[in-house]
Amino acid sequence: MNIITFIMDNAEKCWSLTLDHISIVAFSISLAAIIGIPTGVIISHDKRLAQKIINIANIFMTIPSIALFGLMLPLLAIAGYGLGKVPAVIALVLYSQLPIIRNTYVGISNIPPELVETARGLGMGRWVRLKEIEIPLAMPVIIAGLRNAAVMNIGIAAIAAYIGAGGLGVFIQQGIARAYEDMILAGALLVAVLAIFIDCGMAYLEKILTPKGIKIAGDQRP
Amino acid sequence: MKTEIKRWALVSFFLLGMVVVSISCHKAVNDKKVIIGGKNFTEQYLLAEMGKNLMENNGFFVELKTGVGSSVIRQSLLKGQIDLYYEYTGTAYTVYYKQADPHMMTNRTRCYEWVKEADARKGLIWLESVPFNNSYTLMMREEDAERLGISSISDLSRYINKYPEKLLIGVNAEFWERPDGFKALMSHYGFTVPYNSIKKMESGLAYKALQEEYVSVSMGFETDGRIEAFGFINLKDDKSFFPVYNPAPVIRKKVLDKYPEIQKILEPIAEHLTTEEMRKLNAEVDIEKKQVEDVAANWLKRKNLL
Amino acid sequence: MNKALKYLYRLILIILLLAGAVFIDRTGLIEYLSDANEILYTAGLVWQHIKMVMVSMALATTIGLSVGILFTRPSLKRFSGVIMYIVGLGQAVPSLAVLAIAMSFLGIGFEAAVFALFIYSILPIARNTMAGIKSVPPWVIDAAKGMGMPGLQILLYVEIPNAMKVILTGFRVALVINIGTAALAFLIGAGGLGEHIFTGIDLMRPDKLLAGAIPTALLALLADYLCELLGFIIIPRGLRLTQEV
Repeated sequence: MNIITFIMDNAEKCWSLTLDHISIVAFSISLAAIIGIPTGVIISHDKRLAQKIINIANIFMTIPSIALFGLMLPLLAIAGYGLGKVPAVIALVLYSQLPIIRNTYVGISNIPPELVETARGLGMGRWVRLKEIEIPLAMPVIIAGLRNAAVMNIGIAAIAAYIGAGGLGVFIQQGIARAYEDMILAGALLVAVLAIFIDCGMAYLEKILTPKGIKIAGDQRP
Repeated sequence: MKTEIKRWALVSFFLLGMVVVSISCHKAVNDKKVIIGGKNFTEQYLLAEMGKNLMENNGFFVELKTGVGSSVIRQSLLKGQIDLYYEYTGTAYTVYYKQADPHMMTNRTRCYEWVKEADARKGLIWLESVPFNNSYTLMMREEDAERLGISSISDLSRYINKYPEKLLIGVNAEFWERPDGFKALMSHYGFTVPYNSIKKMESGLAYKALQEEYVSVSMGFETDGRIEAFGFINLKDDKSFFPVYNPAPVIRKKVLDKYPEIQKILEPIAEHLTTEEMRKLNAEVDIEKKQVEDVAANWLKRKNLL
Repeated sequence: MNKALKYLYRLILIILLLAGAVFIDRTGLIEYLSDANEILYTAGLVWQHIKMVMVSMALATTIGLSVGILFTRPSLKRFSGVIMYIVGLGQAVPSLAVLAIAMSFLGIGFEAAVFALFIYSILPIARNTMAGIKSVPPWVIDAAKGMGMPGLQILLYVEIPNAMKVILTGFRVALVINIGTAALAFLIGAGGLGEHIFTGIDLMRPDKLLAGAIPTALLALLADYLCELLGFIIIPRGLRLTQEV
């Protein structure tokens, strides 16, 4: 059980795989946010459409991750991107849509309508309202969704090693193939540590991005 | 107002940070870059690493794309997703070209020349082949083989025809399906194993499965270091079912034309890597649990190639 | 304007479905499945898969519920925060790693896979049980106490039914994750639909891959749907109505 020895002996490999892993997750979360947050904003005003979109996102998340990775391969092979980081990132982006879209939707639609009315009354246009009122108020919930998605992605990205995407899953994959327990444990440990680190980091982000007013009034919100 | 600016600054910084991280992890040095591929067993990882070391020593920037199956890596080469990888003559002959002439495939030179010519027409060049033969084998635990009096695949086929349910066989998906694989082997030797007695698993797991007595017969690779160490024996291929499997670097013609020096750079591997050496190196990785990169680099240094 | 959009939406849906069908046919999946042997084999894999899921879920539910209930009892309540945190940490470990670690302790095959799945599924169930019971409004429990109910009765007739929606969500999440993770069990020699998926990836055969991926996805979706139905049956109508409001 010499995980620490293993990590120390292979520090370079550990570091490069960790960077690899982070890059896959960072990329997919950024993309997922760029797609998901605006979608969440758009559907926040149409309950029926919201239901449909959230259902679709739910379906993507219910499909087991390896199945989704697997489905990406024949689809992307046509375009010549069979293996590697590309199908992994795409699958991860699809996978993360549910927490991000749902949280954005819930965050914005839970804003007390009186506030929105007041803003309208003050003469704020659609964009201004979004920027000054709706998004800041929904921010904590949105970040919570991003945080959820990020932690999930870190775990699932480990499986992506099997479609050639690299990352810390390589330790687990090779460890299984070579019956090399320390390698498996090192891979598992590094992923877990990464997940906890990102989780705490984003929890902190959640805290500092919550507008002060809400923090004060926080306990009174329904 | 100030907190507002601070907030947006933080958000943009965070997003920017993520983009920078993801891009920087993908920085590619574009001149003199070569992508080396490899399959998903130890020997392939070692060969790819050796190639990488030698090429980096000569000023190339090398990216490795290893750990996938034969069909995948072959496709990648044909589509230009990788530039070169080590393929085995027998594999190319039987699997990619679906040939079965025993006169061709059991002779090292003839097999090599045949695939070299065939692939040249596809824009793929076979460089100098490495002398060892890494054939598929069927392995059994030594005690079992002795007890049941099985020392060749013919013995095995006779035993299985008598007692079809008694032995569990471990294979990986590739070995099962390939024309030089288990299904074809069964028909060549005239025996059938019931579906339920076939346990499919990843090839790395097969050794463990045989060791733990989860299966009684398992597929193996001739140069694997674990065969001897785990007390396994290879069953004799007395009806010459398997072709010869000599590895050689297969490179895309376009890449070779651009960097013809690659041929010379990789030659030393072909000159120095014997079956014994390969087996030892495999054992260093699989049994002594050393890292692939270290084993490859150390071997090259010992042979004064680095 | 709205009508045009609706029409467009339906048209796009139909085109996508047709494209999907053509695509699937081109991968050879239909031919693959028309071979009776293969269908039988695939059915066998489905059965292996379901076996793993059922056994591990049974274990996970019993123990998960018990742990959840236990740590909401007055005597152990103070540990509930710590337990929830530890349990939460456990989910950060990738499912693949849990399987691999189970294999190194229990050897290759079914038992290791079931154990790993059990560990992985306990977490959502235990956590949701605790959260659900904790969220029962204290005045409801007070009312029950006031009516003279002994502790056990309160648990059975008040706390659990009130927490049922949350507990069921936990069960559902655990079940769906379990089905997905069971697809990885092939890597430690336990069979299941993962065999087709990984074989398909290894051999670059989209037909095999889909023959594994699609049933797995369908199983997960079916399980999700069944849990919703279960919700209708188990959750007492009074609660369901109030919660929908």
